Amino acid sequence: MLITGIKSRPVYDQLHPLPGGTHHLIAGQGSGGLAMLRLLDDMAGEGLNITLLYSRESFSGQDFLAQLQQRDIADLRIYPSNQALVDDLNRVLGDARMGTRLYLSGSESFIGTAMQVATRYDMNSDEVLREHAGSFVRRVWCVHCDSYTENVTQRVFQCPGCSSMLVVRDHYSRRLAAFQAVKADAEVPGELPVAEELDT
Amino acid sequence: MSLSNGTLNVRVARIEAVTPEIKRFTLVSTDGAHLPPFSGGSNVVVLIPHASGTYRNAYSLMSSPYDSSAYQIAVRRVEDGRGGSRQMHQAVNEGDVLEILRPVNLFPLSKHARLHLFIAGGVGITPVCSQLAELRLRGTPFEVHLAVRGAEHARLGEELQREYGDAVRLYRNDIDQRLDIAAVVADRPLGSHLYVCGPESMIQGAIDSARAQGWTDSHIHYERFLEQGSAGEAFSVTLARSGATIEVSPDQSLLEAAEAAGHEIPYLCRGGACGMCETDVLELDGEILHTDDWLSDEDKAANKKIMPCVSRAKCSRLVIDC
Repeated sequence: MLITGIKSRPVYDQLHPLPGGTHHLIAGQGSGGLAMLRLLDDMAGEGLNITLLYSRESFSGQDFLAQLQQRDIADLRIYPSNQALVDDLNRVLGDARMGTRLYLSGSESFIGTAMQVATRYDMNSDEVLREHAGSFVRRVWCVHCDSYTENVTQRVFQCPGCSSMLVVRDHYSRRLAAFQAVKADAEVPGELPVAEELDT
Repeated sequence: MSLSNGTLNVRVARIEAVTPEIKRFTLVSTDGAHLPPFSGGSNVVVLIPHASGTYRNAYSLMSSPYDSSAYQIAVRRVEDGRGGSRQMHQAVNEGDVLEILRPVNLFPLSKHARLHLFIAGGVGITPVCSQLAELRLRGTPFEVHLAVRGAEHARLGEELQREYGDAVRLYRNDIDQRLDIAAVVADRPLGSHLYVCGPESMIQGAIDSARAQGWTDSHIHYERFLEQGSAGEAFSVTLARSGATIEVSPDQSLLEAAEAAGHEIPYLCRGGACGMCETDVLELDGEILHTDDWLSDEDKAANKKIMPCVSRAKCSRLVIDC
């Protein structure tokens, strides 16, 4: 029923300066701060036009704000949550011009939702780099009640939206930025698959 | 000739002169049925018979993709070309039946673009005509920047202006209206796409301007006029599968020479863009003159592949896997 080796899961990059850009947007959260610092080192001295967006929300408690603040970045924006960052990213990209490059670093859930915004502005793979940081905990979408659950680590869990027992399928939707979950005991009510730790 | 995409018989319903050099041909099916559907930017290959064989020229469809009762193509007469367009102008009359290949699209619109910018020179406007019909229905904003030599060359552009108003800008060289490509691509919103069809210098200029302003290649699209494969020095090629050795004359492409000798090589665009005719080079004593847009720079340097529709060779021996 479940497939291992998830082909639909994005293959992530390593952040490095993209050539030719006129404006560089670096957006990340939590553990992603480390990759942002490395990227800033690679960009140092080039006189690039850089905007930095950092969210302090973190599954693991990692916070690189202090180090980021020590860098000489004219436009550093700080957000209490990933959602606040993604909302602002939407505004920034709405005003952005051709020549913009986008660098994303953080959890899969953060990168996925940020990519939904970038896709709305038709940014392609030669304009965006994504580096995964932290654990691979999953963002899961319930096919029954259309709710999203963050940081799922178990194969079988109860949907907070509709209370169904769900099984997380190994299918990642880029459009929804989430894994798909379906009712676990749909065929025989009460008969649940074995609970197991997800390959997060 | 059997091809994966088949051929169609069409009747020339109407021929009209739209500039001193361009004639517009309206083609309908011979049995009154609708023609196969196509999308904006598509082209058809017209099989043009002549005394010693068949020219195969690709022409963009300029009619609306939403009206498949007829196809329209514009043929610019090229005096010093191979002769296909001259034949279309001189020998084809209203009522004649022509054989064409089904439409293929090697210059499609980006489906997610937020703004479409078109830059065209002269007859390069023809693929844009069908693309605009598609965009109007979709409601995505666009701008057309069309450069022509003078008033008598402006008719297709004027037709588009009547249809689409200010979105179409016309630049006439004779009254010194200059198309500033760098200004067209400057300060555009994220998600803009650029489409260029015109002479080589215009295409290169547009690519350079866009890249200089930070555009990436995924947002830059172009279509070349397809004449580059059939001018050069003669060479000979051996087709490994049949063992035949074919002489390619200076005014033929390798593909045309093979066809004239009765061999079939699969093709779509005949312009080095689509990749259909990509062929392995089995033996080479000399060098390949790559003129396609398909192979990567590494492939071209390795000389292990050739695009028979446009590329030539300067060699004493060439064996290809055909």
